[in-house]
Amino acid sequence: MADVTAAPRPVEIVVDGVSKAFGTVQALNDVHVRVRAGEFLSLIGPSGCGKTTLLKTIAGLVAPDSGRVVVGGRTVEGPGRECSVVFQDFALLPWATVQKNAEFGLLLRGVPAAARAERARGVIAKVGLAGFEHAYPAQLSGGMQQRVGLARALAVNPQVLLMDEPFASIDEQTRRVFQDDLLQLWSEERKTVVLVTHSMEEAIYLSDRVVVLSPRPGRVHQVLEVPLPRPREGAGVRATAEFARLVDDLWKVLRKLQ
Amino acid sequence: MTPGARESDLGRTGLIAVAGLLIMWEALGRLDVSMFVPPVTTVAAAWWHLVGDGTLTRAAASSLVSLVKGFVPAAVLGVAVGLAMGRFATVRHLLDGWVNALMSAPLSALVPVLIALFGIRDTVVAATVFMFSFFVIVVNTLTGVRSTDPSLVEMARSFGAGEFALFGRVYLPSALPAVMLGLRLGVVQAVKGMVVGEMLISLVGLGERLIYYGNTFLIAELYAVIASVLLIALATSQLAQALDRALIRWK
Amino acid sequence: MVVVLRAASVIAFVLLWEWAARVPISFNFPSPWATLTALVALLRSGAILSATATSLQSLALGFGIAIAVGVPLGLVMGVVRPVGRVARIYLDLLIALPTAALIPLVILSFGINILSSAVIVFVFSVPFVTMNAYGGVRDVRPHLVEMAHAFDASRWQVFVRIVLPSALPMILAGIRYALSRAFVGLIVGELLLSPFGLGRLIMASRSMFEHDRMFATVLWTLLLAGVALTALARLEGRLLRWRT
Repeated sequence: MADVTAAPRPVEIVVDGVSKAFGTVQALNDVHVRVRAGEFLSLIGPSGCGKTTLLKTIAGLVAPDSGRVVVGGRTVEGPGRECSVVFQDFALLPWATVQKNAEFGLLLRGVPAAARAERARGVIAKVGLAGFEHAYPAQLSGGMQQRVGLARALAVNPQVLLMDEPFASIDEQTRRVFQDDLLQLWSEERKTVVLVTHSMEEAIYLSDRVVVLSPRPGRVHQVLEVPLPRPREGAGVRATAEFARLVDDLWKVLRKLQ
Repeated sequence: MTPGARESDLGRTGLIAVAGLLIMWEALGRLDVSMFVPPVTTVAAAWWHLVGDGTLTRAAASSLVSLVKGFVPAAVLGVAVGLAMGRFATVRHLLDGWVNALMSAPLSALVPVLIALFGIRDTVVAATVFMFSFFVIVVNTLTGVRSTDPSLVEMARSFGAGEFALFGRVYLPSALPAVMLGLRLGVVQAVKGMVVGEMLISLVGLGERLIYYGNTFLIAELYAVIASVLLIALATSQLAQALDRALIRWK
Repeated sequence: MVVVLRAASVIAFVLLWEWAARVPISFNFPSPWATLTALVALLRSGAILSATATSLQSLALGFGIAIAVGVPLGLVMGVVRPVGRVARIYLDLLIALPTAALIPLVILSFGINILSSAVIVFVFSVPFVTMNAYGGVRDVRPHLVEMAHAFDASRWQVFVRIVLPSALPMILAGIRYALSRAFVGLIVGELLLSPFGLGRLIMASRSMFEHDRMFATVLWTLLLAGVALTALARLEGRLLRWRT
């Protein structure tokens, strides 16, 4: 049983020649990506480029037809303890409270009740939901529900955080606050993060590097470096000329793929 | 599934409507419109009398015992079969033809078959209750399992849930509202089965009393028994609803 | 694969039945083959067909009137809200009551004849036809009515062009469910009423210990109900093709 109390060290992810087809659709074709330990990487691209499929392959939810994914030196053969996923539609158990939802990952890993409860309370506070432990998802806004999703993912002390368009169902103001909070949390406990997004602004704002995938078949089209200094939260980064230029560069790349 | 029928709503409108009905009934009875419409007060008197001499209580007791004997196995087995069918496609394909066909079939046609099997005994009533409620429970449970949100399943898998954990912590709680609906509908069907079974074997219980008073032209007593049957039907239905509300608080 | 499983379950059922017939749990359990031969004999002699005709007469009469009364009643309930609110209480009670309990009363009031049978069928089916017509009208999307008013439609036009088509799926679903209830009422009524139709045939065969004939008639009855309901479902599908 993995120790869920020690701070994990972030690990490297190697996607090595991964291909995946669904029926006649080639979602991914010979994709090579290397994510450095502790790096924040975004995956972006037009619909059908396979970014979500790639994320799920790293998570071990989808098995590649060929090639492999190596996380922290071990080949991925199914959902593993190194990775935690945050989902676009939150995927919270509607019949469970915030507390129980946050405990879910720990529950599945056999952590005893008292330790679970304590750890869950801790992460709930960290994501800013202290006091809401006994609320049900139906009583929470979208942003708050996603915070629970994040708490759940963090509670199991993963070395890798995988996020599948986590802010897509959240309004923009809430999204910006959340993004800053995410960066703050990440700076405190460095993990390797892979984030799938539709938003160029978000990709540039959050990441160290942005991988652009092209569709049909899905493959890596280009990788952009984001040399903006950290910390970025609350530093007015969005207003800088460099930020605008980077977003525009990204847009130029994406526009050619439309 | 009963399309269109909502839960009986005994709010203020309800009480007024029922009161109005009783008043009109009393009036019609007094006016002697038909020998088959006695005044409410006569029916009430007959009812009181039957309770007093124990006939009604004995019949009701026998009926309720058969109800429980038939419904409990139907509930347990029905949920089990429904879960199996929902979870395993093979089981589903094997059984769903039968379940769907028998759910809307006139199952009372099978009561003579049950009589051929068991003879004229009260076991037939329990068997009829079972038959009437089983299929509704299976279908609703099955639907509940099948309509589990796939993203919840994926989420649980991502945290390493195995088959058992998936079933116990995702499929089952997700299906619970549908299972409760199936049980509620099942109870209603069970009461109907109880009455039909008892009327057809004409041996014991409230159903037997219905046949008896019908044959002997004791109209007021007949109405009294009908009212008792209605009361039992409403009571069991309300009980099932209360259980439902108690178990499912998260909606 | 699915077809194989379905076929397998039918075969398993027949085998189970065959086994049950041989095991001496009850001396009067006919085998599948005996049932089949009895059915053929009944068909040849015309007994089952004339019983079916009688039964279907009661069914058609009772069910037809249930639709003719129930649908307009439900529509009125939906359009005139106060009527709907009160009437639905009575209907809810009627639906809650095990309708079979009313059969002795009906028999007393109408005698032992086809009219009684038809009335029983009527009582079994009319609440569902009505409640569904009511529900269908009540659940019309207010948006659509608003839209029609924006185009200056009259009350009648709104009713015919918006409310009715909107309510149609629910009305048809109610009719289909009511048909299954009508069959239930028909069979229970006839089993108790005795001198008529398929119910009579079932009870007569039983009391004469001709269990193979009884089983055959029960099987025939179930098949009849199944065919009728499937046909109605097909019709409903055709009428609601826009619902894909």
